[in-house]
Amino acid sequence: MTSKIMTVFTFAILVLQPFSGAAAEKVYVYNWTEYIPEAVLEQFTEETGIKVIYTTYDSNETMYAKLKLIQGEGYDLVFPSTYFVSKMSREGMLQPIDQALIPNMKELDPSVMDKPFDPGNRYSVPYMWGSTGIAVNTDVIPVKNVTSWKDLWNKEYKDQLLLQDDMREVFHMALKIKGYSSNSRTPREIEEAYQLLKELMPNVLLFNSDSPRLPYLAGEVNVGMIWNGEAWMAQQENPAIAYVYPSEGANFWADSFVIPAGAKNRENAHKFINFMLRPDIAKICVEENGFATPVLKALPLLSEDVRKSETIFPPAAIVKAGEFQTDVGDALPVYQMYWEKLRSGN
Amino acid sequence: MKNKVQLFSISLISGWVMLFGGAPLLLLLITSFLKQHPEKFYQFSFSVQSYFQLIDPAYLDIFLRSVRLAGLTMLFCLIFGYPFAWFTGRLQQHFRAAMLIMLMIPFWTNSLVRTYAVRMILGTHGLLNKALLAVGITESPIRFMYTDSAVVLGLIYLMLPFMILPLYANIEKFDYRLVEAARDLGAGPLQTFSSVVFPLTLPGILAGCIMVFVPTMGLFYVATLLGGARNLLVGNLIQHQFLVSHNWPLGSAMSVILILMMAAMLALYWLVLRRFSARGQVYHA
Repeated sequence: MTSKIMTVFTFAILVLQPFSGAAAEKVYVYNWTEYIPEAVLEQFTEETGIKVIYTTYDSNETMYAKLKLIQGEGYDLVFPSTYFVSKMSREGMLQPIDQALIPNMKELDPSVMDKPFDPGNRYSVPYMWGSTGIAVNTDVIPVKNVTSWKDLWNKEYKDQLLLQDDMREVFHMALKIKGYSSNSRTPREIEEAYQLLKELMPNVLLFNSDSPRLPYLAGEVNVGMIWNGEAWMAQQENPAIAYVYPSEGANFWADSFVIPAGAKNRENAHKFINFMLRPDIAKICVEENGFATPVLKALPLLSEDVRKSETIFPPAAIVKAGEFQTDVGDALPVYQMYWEKLRSGN
Repeated sequence: MKNKVQLFSISLISGWVMLFGGAPLLLLLITSFLKQHPEKFYQFSFSVQSYFQLIDPAYLDIFLRSVRLAGLTMLFCLIFGYPFAWFTGRLQQHFRAAMLIMLMIPFWTNSLVRTYAVRMILGTHGLLNKALLAVGITESPIRFMYTDSAVVLGLIYLMLPFMILPLYANIEKFDYRLVEAARDLGAGPLQTFSSVVFPLTLPGILAGCIMVFVPTMGLFYVATLLGGARNLLVGNLIQHQFLVSHNWPLGSAMSVILILMMAAMLALYWLVLRRFSARGQVYHA
């Protein structure tokens, strides 16, 4: 019995320890899987002496559930997508950003600032943006066979597709095929998209939004959805994996730094944001992760193949053909309901 | 003095069980009778809507699939586990210990890590496919991953000790002279097994099956890592309710159903045991 009590005691110390004392030199970062290179985190600690405690998630929903549960305490920085920035700020889960503490913010691309999901960037600072398109292993499937979202519905691909484990991205495909906006708030349109997605399900082998490139690299799947950055990383290992911008339009999204309402290390969080927006740091992030940065001064520093990569920096025409993910307001529960139905095979 | 120690340990243990077993269960039960809320995880008003939502054919379908996968897992664990437990029970004392330690050693590694190991074996470029290609059994890699079979294989690997240990505990006590007696009285191997060994080890078999069956339906990460988009377990549904749909009442109701199933199986076990020991007494008389 003593050993049991000791176990509880040790456990209590281990669990409670992070919340006591010496908090000044730490910053708790909760981020998407593989979104900040490890070397960057090490450099931050080296330069500032602030220790980064880093944990990861694979969907906005999971991050939201966890943050809500702990009432915004315990993490100092999170990286929601646009529509979750608006949802979380609306629900009082975020604290305002002190722009004076982030001088590098002035250097950001004005076209990604002051967006409707967060007017005046009161709660969020853009980190990276990218797209969701189609990945094709050209060793197995000719790239000309897959040029549109609609091609994924081809019966030939039964049990072969990888879809992102992301509600909005999956609905984007069907909404675009139907000719609707992928930010539709009309329940009828969302339902039609759901009906179309139901027809796609027999083709779907798996959902993955952890590291979607890995099943492609492992040869488990040869066609499906992917983030441009993951496609870029996959191409470094296997050049046969092509990234296709579908003809109906790719899905464009952005993730932002936000500080949860209960964050304890506010100042360190601001220091971290400012550090991440430094041109030399943003350069490393783009080259490692394959996503685009709003840090304009980082662009000339990039190596030529990165700067010229259309996977990372899509031409203007492709951006125009695509659609940028924004808040869907009251329609979110509608999406959620159909997503739930889709996932449980209803 | 002794009484005080007894009282202390009993109250400590029951306090422990209440705090870490009873209280969470009670919270789960209460949550399952609350209403859903779009921004919070639940809202405080009594409702049985979650239990009605459960009748949905889609959930029923996943439930039945889960039962099938868990049933298969249980069956294979029994097929592999029974001979293992039987022969281990027949070994000399120090060999028995060695066998059990070998059974337990993989358990020192986290089950998630072991599930990843299964992935590396089953993958399209995995060890199994490499072996099959090398031997020439197949010409192009076979996809084992993301199928029901992969999920069941992973589940068997994780759950096998839970079948073997109760079986072994039962078989260890088995009096081997009964087998000799049966043979002396003219029973063949099959008859010896069916009318002597099997009935006497039945409590172990049942205990092992219960230990494997219900927990298997909750092992969502095995289905997540080895299964595909449609190889879901009840555990995946529960996880989805809590993490993605943010519908705690429904997730709780699903958990309550699993707990009720476990309780029903334990009750059945108890009934069988009682019958069994009653019959044993008749024979003794």
